[in-house]
Amino acid sequence: MAKLKLGSYWGAACGGCDTAILDVHEKILDLDAAADILFWPIAVDFKYKDVEAMPDGHMDVVLYHGAIRNSENEHIAHLLRKKSKVMVAFGSCAHLGGIPSLANLYDKKQIFQYVYHDSPSTVNPAGVEPQPTTKVPEGEITIPIFYDTVMPLDFVADVDYYVPGCPPTPKQIWNVVEAILTGNLPAKGSVVGASSKTQCDECHLKKNEKKITGFKRIATAQPEQETCYLEQGFLCMGPITRGGCDTRCQLSGVPCRGCYGPVDGVLDMGAKAISAIASVIEAKDEKEIEAIVAQIPDSLRTFNRFAIGASLLRRKTL
Amino acid sequence: MKRISIDPITRLEGHGKIEIFLNEEGGVENAYFQIPELRGFEKFVQGMPVEEVPRVVSRICGV
Repeated sequence: MAKLKLGSYWGAACGGCDTAILDVHEKILDLDAAADILFWPIAVDFKYKDVEAMPDGHMDVVLYHGAIRNSENEHIAHLLRKKSKVMVAFGSCAHLGGIPSLANLYDKKQIFQYVYHDSPSTVNPAGVEPQPTTKVPEGEITIPIFYDTVMPLDFVADVDYYVPGCPPTPKQIWNVVEAILTGNLPAKGSVVGASSKTQCDECHLKKNEKKITGFKRIATAQPEQETCYLEQGFLCMGPITRGGCDTRCQLSGVPCRGCYGPVDGVLDMGAKAISAIASVIEAKDEKEIEAIVAQIPDSLRTFNRFAIGASLLRRKTL
Repeated sequence: MKRISIDPITRLEGHGKIEIFLNEEGGVENAYFQIPELRGFEKFVQGMPVEEVPRVVSRICGV
């Protein structure tokens, strides 16, 4: 059988997805035996021009990690889509916008102002900001255009499959690799390498009836480690987050923050989280509800930690 | 002037490119190292509960 032609790329990402692929450890040799890697910047030295020179549809599968933050991320997404048969949005950033899409609470101007002018570690007396095109004595050099709004991959390219997680667990990555190698893939548009159940269905913590009368923070209170964190008042995204990660965060003693994205059928993760949490608040009247809700620190960036880019509102209107 | 573009820089975490300009003798006249990437963590962690920050900034570099 011909070897699978595989590509992997990062847009606005941290490299954690790449590292998670390497975390399959010795199975990486099986991957090497079954697939030729034609593009993977973190690991092998192919350039954009090598991808441009490929015939269309040349790569069997491309794993795209990272969000669409700038024009380079988008350009390479288009290029890889053209050069691949199957495109996978791999990891939270490509799937939902991920952590980089927290920047959608600001715009380019605000981010540049802080990063290049106001931050305490910035020394920039000339007030220089990066420009897409810079004239130098020898000619012109360019960098990508920084967008106002961070997007998940499927906003700019046709995506065949989604692998959730920040990062996806090595066990799930291997499940996906095996599914690709055996051609055992579900319908286009499916989430693969995850469970169809929620985190709560797979969580080891003891669950009783949830009646929350107040919220606590890990900074100022310590959860008891055998009972559901949410029941104890520590905000947890478990009820609406897709399982499949082996509840790594809960096993590490902290509540889930939702990196595996919502379960099937959820249009907006943050809205669903608000609805789920609201349904377990135990209060007599509106005033009491308000007092309890006021104890949730930073609800916006907790309910939407990994999914602002894919949310219905996409961004904060400024 | 001849120009050599190394794009992207590979086998490291992050994005980078190098533009090298060669003079008529084929020597390096000038070289520019560019970082085409910014995500803006400095801005979007502001006001976040302190216990949540390690869970976010660990995604600056995941290698």
